[in-house]
Amino acid sequence: MSRCDFKIVLLGSEHVGKTSLVLRFVNSTFNSGTPYQNTIGAAFCAKTMRSNGKDFNIGIWDTAGSERYEAMTRMYYRGAHAAVICYEPCCLESWARLRHWLQELRTVEEECKVYLCGTKKDLLDSGMVKREVPEDIVATYSQGLRGHFLTSSKTGENVEELFQKIVDDCVADAKLMRNVEEMRVQLLKEEEAYKAKHKEYCNC
Amino acid sequence: MASTSKDNVQASTSGQGNPADDLEPGACPESVLNPSDSFEEFASEMSSSLQERNINLKSKSSTISEIQSEICDGNKDNTEITSTKSSDDLQSKDDQMSALASSCNLSNQNGEDSDNEKDDYLQSPELVNKEKHVFVLSSAGKPIYSRYGNEDRLAGLCGVIQALVSVVEDQNQDILRSIITKDCKAVFLVKGPLILVAVSKSNESETQLVLQLTYAFNQIVSVLTLTQLNRIFEQRRNYDLRRLLSGAERLIDNLFIFMEKDPAFLLGAVRCLPLPEKARENITNAITTTCHKIRDLVFAILIAGNQLITLVRMKKYTLHPSDIHLLFNLVRSSESFKTAESWTPICLPKFDATGFLHGHVSYISEDCQACLLLLTVQRDAFFPLSQAKHTIAEKLRRSNCLVAINDALNRNQELPTTNPLKHIGIPEIRHFMYKCKSTAQLFTSDPISLDRLQDYRIRHKEGGDVSEKKIEKLSDIDYVRNYRKFCSKIHCTSSPAKLIFRSNSDDTVLAWVTNGFELYVTFDALMEKDQAIKAVDRLLRWIKREEQRIFIMNAPTF
Ligand SMILES: Nc1nc2c(ncn2[C@@H]2O[C@H](COP(=O)(O)OP(=O)(O)OP(=O)(O)O)[C@@H](O)[C@H]2O)c(=O)[nH]1
Ligand SMILES: [Mg+2]
Repeated sequence: MSRCDFKIVLLGSEHVGKTSLVLRFVNSTFNSGTPYQNTIGAAFCAKTMRSNGKDFNIGIWDTAGSERYEAMTRMYYRGAHAAVICYEPCCLESWARLRHWLQELRTVEEECKVYLCGTKKDLLDSGMVKREVPEDIVATYSQGLRGHFLTSSKTGENVEELFQKIVDDCVADAKLMRNVEEMRVQLLKEEEAYKAKHKEYCNC
Repeated sequence: MASTSKDNVQASTSGQGNPADDLEPGACPESVLNPSDSFEEFASEMSSSLQERNINLKSKSSTISEIQSEICDGNKDNTEITSTKSSDDLQSKDDQMSALASSCNLSNQNGEDSDNEKDDYLQSPELVNKEKHVFVLSSAGKPIYSRYGNEDRLAGLCGVIQALVSVVEDQNQDILRSIITKDCKAVFLVKGPLILVAVSKSNESETQLVLQLTYAFNQIVSVLTLTQLNRIFEQRRNYDLRRLLSGAERLIDNLFIFMEKDPAFLLGAVRCLPLPEKARENITNAITTTCHKIRDLVFAILIAGNQLITLVRMKKYTLHPSDIHLLFNLVRSSESFKTAESWTPICLPKFDATGFLHGHVSYISEDCQACLLLLTVQRDAFFPLSQAKHTIAEKLRRSNCLVAINDALNRNQELPTTNPLKHIGIPEIRHFMYKCKSTAQLFTSDPISLDRLQDYRIRHKEGGDVSEKKIEKLSDIDYVRNYRKFCSKIHCTSSPAKLIFRSNSDDTVLAWVTNGFELYVTFDALMEKDQAIKAVDRLLRWIKREEQRIFIMNAPTF
């Protein structure tokens, strides 16, 4: 009974910054004051975005990176229109996990549009951390995918751009849009039916 | 050396002449909580032999699969539900498991430090002079959790603990329970593939410490399930469990602080948010009318500030207080529930240790810090439950229930339950805590506010040291510390006390247990016994009069 037009899932190992990315995108905030807390299970957020002159509801699943939820994560990317796989350019381990997700998505969700996202760009730019994942390797991996973004949830750099690209890509996908339209029509019908029934009930 | 709990018995008498024996404030015919006493359970845990313990490990039948098959019986055409497995294993593929295991041998690196270094670490400020240490290790001796310090550097200590435990088991066919020195107790609990140890300088009894270790074990089960925990170690005895627990250490940390401060743990009871009867009824109705058609929903639980507002359940099933405590702990420890709707697997060890329920967890609204948990056996139910949550929130707002909840949470001075002692007008009573046994519910005169608990938490992070500091204003937390020894006498299995009256120049404490309730009261110093009993009588009558507000007096189902 999802009322979202597009389903987007965020994947990536723990601490790479998925939750921060969603909070920046949805609430335009970044919490540098509060200490890191891992996500438990998964969190769902929705936001309305415009593309091609029309409004779309997008639903975002922010999954937990902790290994203990790994098998659960499959249920979040089932049927996802797009997946953003996050890694930290300054953490080789997070890149190794990214390759795992790529493989999973290729076999389980072929239709899913996949994006790579290198997080915490501000740290890289400031020189506080050293890049561990070589750029040419990232480039090689991004080739078969829908895009690669380097974002900072702290400054907001490239965050809006990432999600806008996803929505634009979805809107440009004729097959996907046919399904979305069908869903909308059906949901509208259901709502009408529900309202009609409810009215009847109230009049009694 | 030997552990005896009767060394410091003060004047205690067995009770008779009870003024209010027929009063049982809070009792009701059907309870939402399973009132089985955890003390009995722990007593049996403590007295079981090695053989019995190994038998107990075999897991019981799964409540979750029972519910699933029941739903399917009445719903045969719905194949979607039948395909749900009884326990959603986090790590179902064996190859995945062994891949994990083979890449996790990092922790030994630090274990190879020279002996001198290890000893030095045990003397470091991080570890020395703490009131209570807690260590969890695998039965192979691998560190899993330490309340203070860095587990990697405690490999040596864990090896020693493991050796102690196994020597007693192998050579004496016995169970090592405790080692007691002049100022310190070390209590051991072997459960499944884990060894849990508390080393404490506090005044908590051995049973109370075992109870806390059992909670810690249950907290681990709650994130992994017992099935998975057992399987991991069956497949690889040397597994480093910290990989799977990452992020959950926080839950164990908080649980221990919570257990030391909140009498709910001491008494195995749940505190309810005091609310006008009508308001609670409206809240419950909002939930039942919204959810009665959602078939797979097992529990709908509304909580605020570690207090239960209402619990609606699937017929036949109740929750154990200790499962609710784990939910309180989860909610209180997770800021992330405040920013988005969450969907998470939760295992409730008493309800069913073998599998996960799936929980939709969210706060009712930005202006009301009550958290709603909708627990189901259906892993795909997020959207219907999300819909239900919004409907419920809307109904609560329209019926002014959010205001009632906020008033109670903010401890509005006009409410009789905010400051009961002032309201009743018994100045000689400083503090009390009351447990209704049949419903496992609790009421105290000065519930710890969340802010205050937070305060303690922050202070604890920095310290946790043994302190001799005198506290300026006593609160729940300090009285509870004081009640511990009375509580353990009342729950002593060999010769339980019924009524304890102890008066000295600091204060006077009365502890009283009947079939219906447990009551602990602190009076001014040097109170006379008959005067105290008169005051207690008035107190009980007041609780009886306010019981509808203080307690959940029914057991609603969907
Ligand atoms: N400087 C900087 N820090 C960031 C950025 N994004 C995230 N962080 C920090 O990195 C830590 C982890 O961020 P989260 O967003 O919680 O990580 P996560 O991927 O959601 O982690 P899990 O929920 O465990 O999977 C936090 O302390 C954030 O403050 C960023 O863009 N810049
Ligand atoms: Mg997160």
